[in-house]
Amino acid sequence: MSFVEFRGVTKTFGRAPAVEQLDVGIAQGEFFSLLGPSGCGKSTTLRMLAGFIAPSTGSIHVQGRDITHLPPEKRDIGIVFQNYAIFPHMNVFDNIAFGLVERGEDAATIRRKVGAALEQVGLSGYDERFERELSGGQKQRVALARVLVIEPHILLLDEPLSALDKKMREEMKFWIKSIQHSIGITTIYVTHDQSEALTMSDRIAVMDRGRVLQIGSPVEIYEQPRSRFIAEFIGESNLLPGRLARADGTTGAVEVAGAQVPARLAQPGLSTGAEVAFLIRPEQIRLEPWSADEAPMLTGKVADETYQGALRRYRIDAAGQHLTVEVPNRPELAQLPPGADVQLYWRPESGLALA
Amino acid sequence: MTEATAARATGARLAAPALSRARLTWLLVVPLLVFLTVFFVIPVGLLFATSLNPQTIGQVTVTSDLTLDNYLRFFSRSNYLLATGRSVALGAIVAAVTLVVAYPMAFVIAKTAHPGRNTALLILVLAAMQLDMVIRLYGMMVILGDEGLVNQMLRGIGLIGAESSVQLMYNFLGVVLGLVQFALPFMILTLVGVIRGIDPSLEEAARSLGASRRRAFFRVTLPMSLPGILSGSLLVFALSISSYIVPALMGGFRVGVLPIHIFQQVAEGARFQFGATIAVILFLLSAGAVAIYLRVGARASGGRA
Repeated sequence: MSFVEFRGVTKTFGRAPAVEQLDVGIAQGEFFSLLGPSGCGKSTTLRMLAGFIAPSTGSIHVQGRDITHLPPEKRDIGIVFQNYAIFPHMNVFDNIAFGLVERGEDAATIRRKVGAALEQVGLSGYDERFERELSGGQKQRVALARVLVIEPHILLLDEPLSALDKKMREEMKFWIKSIQHSIGITTIYVTHDQSEALTMSDRIAVMDRGRVLQIGSPVEIYEQPRSRFIAEFIGESNLLPGRLARADGTTGAVEVAGAQVPARLAQPGLSTGAEVAFLIRPEQIRLEPWSADEAPMLTGKVADETYQGALRRYRIDAAGQHLTVEVPNRPELAQLPPGADVQLYWRPESGLALA
Repeated sequence: MTEATAARATGARLAAPALSRARLTWLLVVPLLVFLTVFFVIPVGLLFATSLNPQTIGQVTVTSDLTLDNYLRFFSRSNYLLATGRSVALGAIVAAVTLVVAYPMAFVIAKTAHPGRNTALLILVLAAMQLDMVIRLYGMMVILGDEGLVNQMLRGIGLIGAESSVQLMYNFLGVVLGLVQFALPFMILTLVGVIRGIDPSLEEAARSLGASRRRAFFRVTLPMSLPGILSGSLLVFALSISSYIVPALMGGFRVGVLPIHIFQQVAEGARFQFGATIAVILFLLSAGAVAIYLRVGARASGGRA
């Protein structure tokens, strides 16, 4: 049995379903991400778990206990909001003490615990500050300290990095992950940023239009996306229209851009002749063979090249199909001018055929 | 063309529309400025000047003969000081009662997300403002008079004798009730704005940290609506102490607040100079409340930014 379980949860606002037939189990101590574009139902899912909104049908269980109709204050679930929701009329100390006061802790315990929490998030000495005197990153630390100090069963993070600048975001990503790891708290992380989900999560649920499309580890989600939507949403992708030329079990070959290339099959039921999308990630493609006897998968012409510092991005025209290729910016790799003929190489297992 | 002149030319081109926009802004303000000058600044200026002229019964025009006698008279007579105290007390009581009545309603309106229901509630509040004050007060008289609905009901259920009645108007209570009725929409609208401005995730954060709905209200929502409570109360205070029609009709001239005294000095005694003196003092009281209101409002919005 999972630590957190959604059983057949549906939430409808008016006539439009925000979340449909959600069945998800989350293990104790897991860092679980809900990933999807805005309006996919991920925030609704989180808010149902927090108790701010009630499911239309279905039930939510924590440690086997049905909490569907429990008010938020009885759930023992901490949440960090996108805008941090620091109480502006209280200083940092009172913000962090809020939950302890509600639990009736005595003044000495509150002082000790708040002090420890401030130290844990690296904000010792900030007790007297108010929200308007804090930077974005500091607000987030306060929001996290305020939640962790009450030692909840579950930690919910609702797009906590989206209000920060890029450099801060990278820093906080690892910081949050390390705190989560050291406490071992079950964490549910809502984001629309696939790179956050990939770097931080144990498992990811990709959502779209109220439904969970795929649940898996970051590696599974990235390397074995179950649909075109997931392939496009997670990372950069080349998706080319093709036809399945051969299928045996989990592998086969796809006719694409005038050639036949090997491919893994995303769905086992695909039969020969089926229209498929062929997925090959830009970083999987090489413009030079590894060995003299390696045959190219496709041939084409360089349409244009973009310099990106760490890598060069080529747009390749192959029999009318456009492919993006990312090549590490290293001097020993050839630089190709627009119009040059190129050969594209990749490992046979890199290609994936999607229904 | 050198780089510097090019930059200057660009700068001039950029500055030109900004300048004309500033000029346009001024033009847009002109009608109001003219109106306010003719019908507010000049009359109030004349009021000040009149209050500094020696008291001459029947004299309306302003003379260059200046004296503080009227003010000395005001501050040396206990009945005027009492009237000032009564006005301030009335303003404070009305503000407090209005706040208690308005807050729950404002809270409901602010928390009603459904646009149709929200509009309906706001119309309900604003409907009271659609009728002239005199008509509304006559309506209240029908209810609160000695032979009014309330007294008839009290007689009907036997709480008071068939011949007796409870005095609900032509006294301080009547004036308070009339003013509360008058001030409610102002208070509600002020509070709705402030309560709506409170980020809902603050309450949610309080709830998930262990606060019940009630505790979250008292620890987060109420303290965060304090700026609205303060500014709404000061606005109602200023409106109440300067109201003439309500003390006149609901108090029947028996509740001697400052506006009643002004009316009596001017209309009954033709003592324009002393009437002007009381008016200036009332004006300063109410302007003081508005000044605090503006400062509180500025601090509230400054704190949020």
